[in-house]
Parts: sequence; structure tokens; C-alpha cells
Amino acid sequence: MAALATFFWGWLLAALLLGFGMGWIAVVHRAQGVPKLWMRWLAVLAVALVAASFAHVVPGRFGYWLDLLLVMFALYLVGCAVGSWLRDWVVSRSKPAN
Amino acid sequence: MHGLFKWSSKWWPGVIPLAVFWGLAAWTSTTAVEGDVAARSNAALKDSVLDKRRISVDGRDVTFAANAFSEEGRLSAVASVEAVPGVRLVNDETRLVPEAKPFVWSAERDVVRVTLGGSAPLPSSKGKLMEAAKAGLGGVEVVDQMGLARGAPPRFDAVALLLLDQISKLKDGKITLTDNKINLAGMARDLGGREAVAAALKNLPDGYSVAANDIKAPPYIFQAYKDPVALTLTLTGYVPDNNVHAALVAAAGRKFFSEKVVDNLKASVGAPSGFAAAVVPALGALSRLSTGTLVVSDREVKLSGDALYDAAAGQIRGGLGKDFPQGWQYKAEISVKPASAPVDATVCQQLFADTLTKGRIRFESGKADIVPDSAGLLDRLIETAMRCPTTNIEIAGHTDSDGEEAANQALSEKRAQAVMDYLVRAGLPASRFTPIGYGSTQPVAANDGEDGKAQNRRIEFVVK
Repeated sequence: MAALATFFWGWLLAALLLGFGMGWIAVVHRAQGVPKLWMRWLAVLAVALVAASFAHVVPGRFGYWLDLLLVMFALYLVGCAVGSWLRDWVVSRSKPAN
Repeated sequence: MHGLFKWSSKWWPGVIPLAVFWGLAAWTSTTAVEGDVAARSNAALKDSVLDKRRISVDGRDVTFAANAFSEEGRLSAVASVEAVPGVRLVNDETRLVPEAKPFVWSAERDVVRVTLGGSAPLPSSKGKLMEAAKAGLGGVEVVDQMGLARGAPPRFDAVALLLLDQISKLKDGKITLTDNKINLAGMARDLGGREAVAAALKNLPDGYSVAANDIKAPPYIFQAYKDPVALTLTLTGYVPDNNVHAALVAAAGRKFFSEKVVDNLKASVGAPSGFAAAVVPALGALSRLSTGTLVVSDREVKLSGDALYDAAAGQIRGGLGKDFPQGWQYKAEISVKPASAPVDATVCQQLFADTLTKGRIRFESGKADIVPDSAGLLDRLIETAMRCPTTNIEIAGHTDSDGEEAANQALSEKRAQAVMDYLVRAGLPASRFTPIGYGSTQPVAANDGEDGKAQNRRIEFVVK
């Protein structure tokens, strides 16, 4: 997949930035979070998809699209994590000043 | 860490645009990715020897179909596609090239083209053979109908190239290699073609053999035409070598006393055995004809023309075939020339003198046996004698001055008698001739040189 990154690196970057933005917002967002049970099921789904990707069980173009999805999703999560952590750091630094 | 887990429950709204991005990424990149994987896979197979290679890419999965020429080659080709960066899966649809049993290769030539058929062991040897055929056949269309198969005998390329070289020597025909047996059939382009092919086949590598060689050569033709008007004897066609050539021209010079020999003969191999032994007597028979054609085609001798008189026609028809080597055939189409108008004694004498100036009746050295070369001259003399039936003729024998006079006298008498006997056998009445021997008493030239002596050894016809 790495050898082919030249064809979709822009989308990977977009996923990363999207994640970063979403992570940045999430820290101060007041919306309802995803319930824990859902989170578990979603995690299981993610693991199942990763397992399917590594096992090469999805053939042809669907297999490639699955790989692409997982890579973009992974980068989205990384972006989210970095964004949230950074926002949290910024917020906690500015609090004493208030 | 706990915070991260807490925040992550609020990350979900971004998943919606992420899904859109994913859709767009898949939309825009799939074809480009497939093209790139296909190009890399083809590049990786650049050095693999494969037939009917087909690469199709679906996503990152490569379906690879090809015919390989060995199991190792097949496995290494599959491995090199698997090793291409970006390839996820290889659907291996490779097979081994089918094995041909027996392994047959052929080259066939007809009027306009050469067709290479059967099987070749590798694309490279196929290409090499096509190239060699185009180069060696100079402009003839070469058609490639060769398939590829395993199971070729060792040193196939060398043998096939050698056989292709032989195809260039054929006018039409087919050469087939079946495992290590070779069959040849057809017609050689030139007279020596059959022999040249047979000689080249001796260079076949060990283990190969010729099962059947049915190559035929064009007929070996020799022709002689006696033209009584132009007074020429034209020789055309082929002779086996320069020695036979010289011998035939010399024999023609002796037998055709008044004709100029026009020599258009060419030396060529491929002559039937006994060629000279058959052609020399056939030329002798032609020399007895007023006008005639001799055609020797392989082992068939055909003589046609006009004899000077009845008895000669009979002798020529019946006599020639007996002298021939075994296996030779003789066909004679001899007619008799219409008798020339009678002449008086003076003209008759003139005709005898003219004829005997052009040629001399020859005998075995020191003997009274007429040599066969003089048959044409004697026929001419007999014809002349027939034109003046009322005259009596003295046949005068002369010798040179070598040896004792008594012996010369006796020899000249015997030779005159021998000539008379010949004339009588031809049907002339004995009563018209008187044989007389003069020994060396009437020389026509000085006896001090070979030329003079040769002129003095002679037979003269004197009309009384």
C-alpha cells in the first residue's frame, strides 16, 4: 500500500487534517458522546475489518477500498488524538490565566 | 489517557466527511493504482521467458496467466510478480507449455512461400528460425505457423537451422523433423542440389538421423544438334566435370569430320553413372545422320534424325543400345533422308575428293580395322557412291614410309579391302569396287614430319 501512496496521499492528508479538526473540536464540544456499548461494537467492527484486510479475504477492488478505508480511518484517529490532546493542552494552559 | 477515551466518544461526526473523502479517494485513485500495478508486474516479468502472458489487475490483485517453458521458470515468474511492491494477491493461472510427443517441426516450400510449421521449443528459437529463413531465402515470403511446445530434442536450434539451409536448395518440397528423425521430400532447385543436401546432412549432430530422403533432382540433360546447313554440331546441357567435357568435345571433333563443334556445355554434378560411356557412342550415332538431334535426359538417350541410306538407319536403330551401360534406355526415331539426285562420274569424283579432304578414314594403328569414329565419314562416302551407280570405283590404300615397304604394301591393300568390305556391307555391289594397295609409293607430302606422314596415310576413291 505504501508504494501506491503517490496516488492518494492527498486524501490521506485530508483524513489526517479532518481528524485533527474533529479532535480539536471534540474537547469542548457539548454534544452527546457515543454510548460505551456502541463504542465496543464499533471497536469489534474495526478489529474485524482489520483482520479481514490482513487475511486478504475481500477480493479485488473491494479489497483495495477496504485497505484504503482502514488507512484513512487510522490516520483520522491519529489526527483526532493529536487534535484532542493539543486542544486539551492549550485549554489547560490558558485556564490559570483566566 | 482517560481524557482521550472520553473525547473519542465525540469524534464520530467527522466520520461522515471521512466517508465522503474515502469515496472520492476510491473514485479517483482506483484506475491509476491498477495501471501502476499492471506496469510494475509487466516490468518484473521482462526477463521471464513465457508464452501467452496476460496480466489483469483488479484493485491490487493481479491475475497472472501465462505458459511457462519449465516448472522453475513458472515458479520464478509467479514469485517475481508476488514481489512487486503494491501487489496484494496473485491469482496464479500459469501453466506449463504443453509437451509435444513426438516433437515435430517442419519447413515447407512451394512456389511463392516457405511455411515453417510444427513446434519450436522457445520463442527465441522461433524468432531465430524466422530470421534465418528470411535471411537465407532472400525475398521469399516466410510464413510462421510454428507453435510452442516442450519436449524438443537436444540441439534442436542447430538442426533446424541446418535444415532451413537445405530448404533454400529446394525448388519445392518439405523437410520434417520428428523427434530426431528427418524426412525430406521435394525437388532440388539445381542439378547438384540433391547431392548438396545429402552432403550437408552428414553434418547433423550425433543422435539425429535421416529417415527418408526423397529429394529429386531436375533431369540431367545433354543435347547435341547436328545442323547440315550451318555445318555445326551444337553441344548444350551438362557434363559431370572438365575431364569428361574435354573428352566429349575431342570425341565430337573426331566423329564430326566436316562440322564445327559449338561447345555450350556446363559442368555440373548430378550426372547419372556411366554418362560418358553412353554419350560417346550416342554422339557416334548422331555423326552418321544427315541432320539430327541427340537428347540425353538422365538415363534416357533419344536420337532422332535422318540417316543417309536404309542400311545405316537400321544399324543406328539396332546397334546403339547394345553399347550402353546398364540401366540406360535408348529411343531412336530415325528416318531415311530422300536420296540425292544422281550425278555423273566427274561430279562423283569431285564429291569423293571433297569429302576425303575434310576427313580421313582412320584405322587402328598398324592394323586394317576401321575405327568407329570414321562411321560418319564412311556413310557420307557410301551415299556419294549411291549417287553414281553406274561408275566403278578404285579404292586406293596408301601408307607413310615408316617400316618395311612390303609390310606397308600389305597394310595398304588390307586397309583398301577393309573399306571395300564396309561399303559392300552397306549394300553396294562388290563388282563396282577395286581395292588396290600402293604402300608408300605415292606420297602426297614429305615423309619427314608427323604431319606429312599423317597426310600420306590415306584412302582415296578414284572413279573410273
